Order: sequence, then structure tokens, then C-alpha cells
Amino acid sequence: MSERPSLWWIDWRLSRGPLLRETIGRLLFFCLLGFALLSLLLSGGVGRFLADRYAITAVLRAEVPSAEAEGLARKVAALPPVRSAAYRDPEAAWKEFLRAYPGLDPLRGAGGNPLPGYIEIRIRPDRLTGADVGLVTSALRSVSLVEQVLAGEEWLPRLLRTGRLASWVCRGIFAAFLAGFFLVSRLQERARAIALAGDFAFLAERGVPGGRLAFFRAAGAAVSGFLLAAAGTAAGGGALFLSLRAFPFLESVIGPTSDLVLPRTVAAAVLFSLGAALLSGAASLLGWRAARSGRK
Amino acid sequence: MSTAFRSVALLAAAVSLWILFPAAAPAARDVAGELRKERGRLLEMKEREEKTVLELTEALRKEKRSKGRVGELQDRLKRQRNLLLRIDRKVSALNERLEGAENAVRELEAAHGQARTDLQRAEVVAFAGQRAGAGDPRYPPAGERERHFMRLYLAADAEGVVRITRARERKEEELSGLERQVAVTERKRTQEKKVGDTLLSRQEEERRRLADIEREKKRKEKELKSLRAKIARMESVVSRVERQVKERERRARKGAGGGSAAREPAEAPRRFASLSGGLSAPLAGKIVTPFGRQHDTTFDVTIENRGVEIEAPSGSSVKSVGQGEVAFAGAVSGFGNVLIVQHGGGLFSVYGRLETFLVKQGEAIKKGTVVGRLPGSPSGKSVLYLELRTGGTAIDPTSAIPLDR
Repeated sequence: MSERPSLWWIDWRLSRGPLLRETIGRLLFFCLLGFALLSLLLSGGVGRFLADRYAITAVLRAEVPSAEAEGLARKVAALPPVRSAAYRDPEAAWKEFLRAYPGLDPLRGAGGNPLPGYIEIRIRPDRLTGADVGLVTSALRSVSLVEQVLAGEEWLPRLLRTGRLASWVCRGIFAAFLAGFFLVSRLQERARAIALAGDFAFLAERGVPGGRLAFFRAAGAAVSGFLLAAAGTAAGGGALFLSLRAFPFLESVIGPTSDLVLPRTVAAAVLFSLGAALLSGAASLLGWRAARSGRK
Repeated sequence: MSTAFRSVALLAAAVSLWILFPAAAPAARDVAGELRKERGRLLEMKEREEKTVLELTEALRKEKRSKGRVGELQDRLKRQRNLLLRIDRKVSALNERLEGAENAVRELEAAHGQARTDLQRAEVVAFAGQRAGAGDPRYPPAGERERHFMRLYLAADAEGVVRITRARERKEEELSGLERQVAVTERKRTQEKKVGDTLLSRQEEERRRLADIEREKKRKEKELKSLRAKIARMESVVSRVERQVKERERRARKGAGGGSAAREPAEAPRRFASLSGGLSAPLAGKIVTPFGRQHDTTFDVTIENRGVEIEAPSGSSVKSVGQGEVAFAGAVSGFGNVLIVQHGGGLFSVYGRLETFLVKQGEAIKKGTVVGRLPGSPSGKSVLYLELRTGGTAIDPTSAIPLDR
């Protein structure tokens, strides 16, 4: 009989219990990574958080009519880096000011409101850079209705630097988790290869090449890794969706739920799953080699 | 009044003439002596009267001047009172403005103090707010904006303080200007009041002086009245003596068997006209004082004019109205230089108020002979007194001589 046995899912057939545990563990881990990945994708690191904390204030001249100010706000909102531009009339500015300095209310007396109206301009998270902020401020300064532009020039570079650093830290942590996953997977693969060494030796004696065995093990690990990563990312996305719905304030940090179904998000999730498959396959091969060579 | 005195003087002159030409003197020396005596008394009384008239005229002039001064002082006093009223009104208006300005300054000072206090409190609030991190600390742009607005707020408050300070300074300047104006006006008011008081005292003084003059005038008028009465009595005496003289002449002419008796007064003009060569006007002029009874408005009395007064240019030559002889040339009180020409037959012509005589007493003259000149005067006009007498009676010269009225 020349029929050759299928080597697909050999581990599952030889060691079903431990593999089930490992698979559950990996699924949970991919759920976490998927949640983190989608959060990072939506938030752009800390970019959205910082963009939500940053605004340019265009202080208007005292005599600017509301209609002109609102027209200017609409024009500013049409600039590419601008996410929104809202006009606040002098009355609103005065109320906000008094909220910040409540003790001033009785002092002003009959003096009236000395404050002008202003336009608050928010920048898109992905355009929160010094160049884009400079573009908007220079455009505003050229407008005769604008008395002064407050763009936080003193602290904006520091903020942007901190944002970049924080984003890299977030990405680094994510990468560390991926690396950890890879190492743990390799160890698990090695341990399983050692545990199934007798079975693999039996198969080798019956004419099954070791390389073929390793390939099919790695292919199975990659496929399962892809499926687990996709499932975990989907589950993480669901958890993120539920979290954003349950805690709306998170939207200002992470982003809106609608961004979860954007093609770029889906593409990133697919790429992540493919990456997880590659890592799983690589971990299987490396674990096989380590078991065969007797290394750790 | 002076015309009456002139008549008296003329009478005296006639008496003097009679004395100078005593044709029938030996027969009536006693009468002549009495006449001289009465003449002396009459002259003395006339001198006194003349003096009284002069004094009265002076009193009247003084009264007029004093009344003028009183009127002028009253006008000035009225103007002064009006001025004082205007000054009072101005002071009142200035005081009102001053009060308004003071209130404004007080209000501005209060507002200034309040604004400064508010500014200081706002600075404290701003400082405390900055220390505490005003606004949302998780949202730096809000803090930046509120800091900017706080600067605007403080600038507006500081500007308000500056504005109030300037307004207060302006008001204070206005106030001090008003105070200076009030002080100046008050000083002016005091000065004008002093002037008014001085005018009032001068007016009182002038009124007292006027009262004195009034008293003096009344006294002089009384004295004059008394003198006139005396003169009238004296005239009656002189007339009586004159009648005696005429009677003596008539008797003398009767004794001489020649000459006609004295004609009736109605024939007097014809007698003058019958003079050799007739009569002519002594000069070209206009009668300003007619003959006969006239009412003197100055002293409110009726007087009897014995001649006429002819107004002519100063320095005019006075000619004899007819042929005759100069009977008298001399000064007579009240008439100045008087020249009397005897035309014969009891006819005399009398020329008064002459400046110079161009003929001598006793000189025979013809009609038209220049006998004297009128005096000069600032007005360029002088007056000649002309009287014609016949039989001791004055007649209207215009009935015998063609004169312009």
C-alpha cells in the first residue's frame, strides 16, 4: 500500500488536548492584540487625543459683524488641515471667560463686555503637524477681520514631540506584544515537537521526511494563526465597538465607531492576520528546529 | 425880568439927563435935590437888584448844573445797578456751574476709586486664576485664550481707569477755571458795588447841595421880590418928580410964550416923524424883545418893556435915528454903556448895551451918524437896546421907525 498519510493538522491528531489549550490562549491573545491594533489604527497613536486637545483661536476684531465672522468660519473650515471651525460671538466668549474667572463677574459692573468674538479651529488628527498648523495660522493672519491668532506657538512643538514619542511608545508596546507572541509560540512549538518526538521518529522510520513534516506543521500553524488572528481582531473590534458605544468619551481618544469599518481598517486587520500567520508559521519552524537540535 | 430893570435904568438915565441939562433948575432947586437924592437911592437899589439878579442867575445855573449832575448820577447809578444785577446773575450761573462741576468731580473720583479697586481685584483674580490654572487644564488652547482675554479685560479696565482719570483731570481743570472766574467776578462785583456806593453817596451829596441851592434860590427870589417892590415904589417917586419937572417946563414955556405944550402920547410917533430928516433904523437887525407888557418865563412874572431889543451881528455900527445932540454917554447899571440923544421938543432916543461910544457928550449929530458899536460875542450876535421917549413917556419905537420884527 503506497498511500501516504496526510500530514495536515498532524499535531491536532497527535496532541489534541495541549493544542486546544494553546489555541484558546492564542485566540484570547489575538483578541487583545486586535483590540489594541484597531485602537492604534483609529487613534493614530496619541494623535487623535492631541488633536482633540489642540485648537487654534482666531480672535476677531471688536467691530466684526456676526454674519461676516460666520462666513469666515465657514471658509476656514474648508481648509484641508481643518477638521472644524466654530464661531463664538462676544457674548459666548464673555460667558466662557467668566466661567474660567468666576470672581470677575461682579467687578465689571456696568463696564460691559470688553471681549471680542473668536473662531475656534480644530485640526484633523492626521494633519496635526507644525507645517499644517503654520499653514492655517498664516492664512488666518492675512485676514483683516482677525485681530490675533492664538496657536500655542510656545507649547505646540513640545506637544507634537510628546505626541510622536507617545505614538512610538504605543507602537513599540504593540510590537513587543507581537514579539512576545512569537517567542511564546516558538517555545510552545518546540515543547510540542519534543513531546511528539517519538511519534515523529516513528513517522520518519516509516518514510516520512522530516522536512515535509515540519512544513505541514508550519503550514497548519500559519493557517490557524491567520484564522485566530482574524477571529481575535474581529472580536477585539467588537469589544472596541461596544466600549466606544458604552463610553463615548473614548471616541475623543480612539475615534468614532464608524472608522472600524473603513476599508483601510479592514485592510490593516487582514494584514495583521497575515502577519500573525507568518509569525505562527515561523514560530513552528523555529520550534521544530530547536527541538531537533536539542537547543532551547 | 431884566427888561423891567432896564426900564428902571432908562428912567434913571432920563432923570440923569434932566439933571445934566437943568434948563429950569433955578426955579426948582429943591425938586432937583430931591430928584438927585431919589436917583442916588434908585441907583443903589438897582445895583443891589442887579447883584441879586446875578446871584439868582448864578443860583439857577448852579441848580441846573446840580440837577444835571443828579440826573447824570441817577443814570450812572441805574447803569451801575443794572451792571451789578448782571454780575449777580453771572455769579449765580457760575456758582451753579461750579456746583455741577464739583458734583461731577466727586462722581468721577468715586468712579475712579471704584475702577481702581475693580482693576486691582481683577489683577488678583487673574493672578489667582493663572496660579490655579484657569480653564480646562486638559485643554491648553482654552487656557491660552482665556489668558489672552484676561489681558484684554485688564487692558480695558486699565483704559477705563485712565479714561476716568483724564475725565477727572479735565473736570478739575474746568473746576479751577470756574473758581477763578467766580473769584474774578466776585472781585469785579465788589469793585462795582464800591463804585455804586460812591455814586450813591455822591448823589446824596449832590441832592443835599441841590437842596441848599433851592433854599438859596428861594431866598434870592424873595429878596428880589422885595427889591422889586422897593423899585416900584421908587419909580412912582421918580415919576412924581418927573411930572413936577414937566409941569415946571410947561410953565416955563408958557411964561416964555413960545413952544407948544406936550403932545398927547398918541401923537408921539408923529412928533418923531416930524423931526428934520425923519427917523431911520439905528442898524439892520431883528427885534427880539418887543415893546410893552411881556411875560418872563424864567421868573414867571409880567414885565413892562420901555423899549425894544434888536439883535444884530456883533460889532455892528449903531447910528443915530435922527438929528440931535448927545445928552448922555456913560455906563448905566443893567444897560452897560448907554447913549442918550436929545432931539429937541422933549424927544429922546436911548441906545443901550453899546461897547464903545464914537461921539462925545454935547456933540451935535445928524441922522445916521455912527454913535457907537455893539460888543462882540462868541455867538456872533449882539443886542442893541433902543428906546424912544417923548414927554417923559416911552413909546413903541416900531411906531416911529421901520424895524424888522
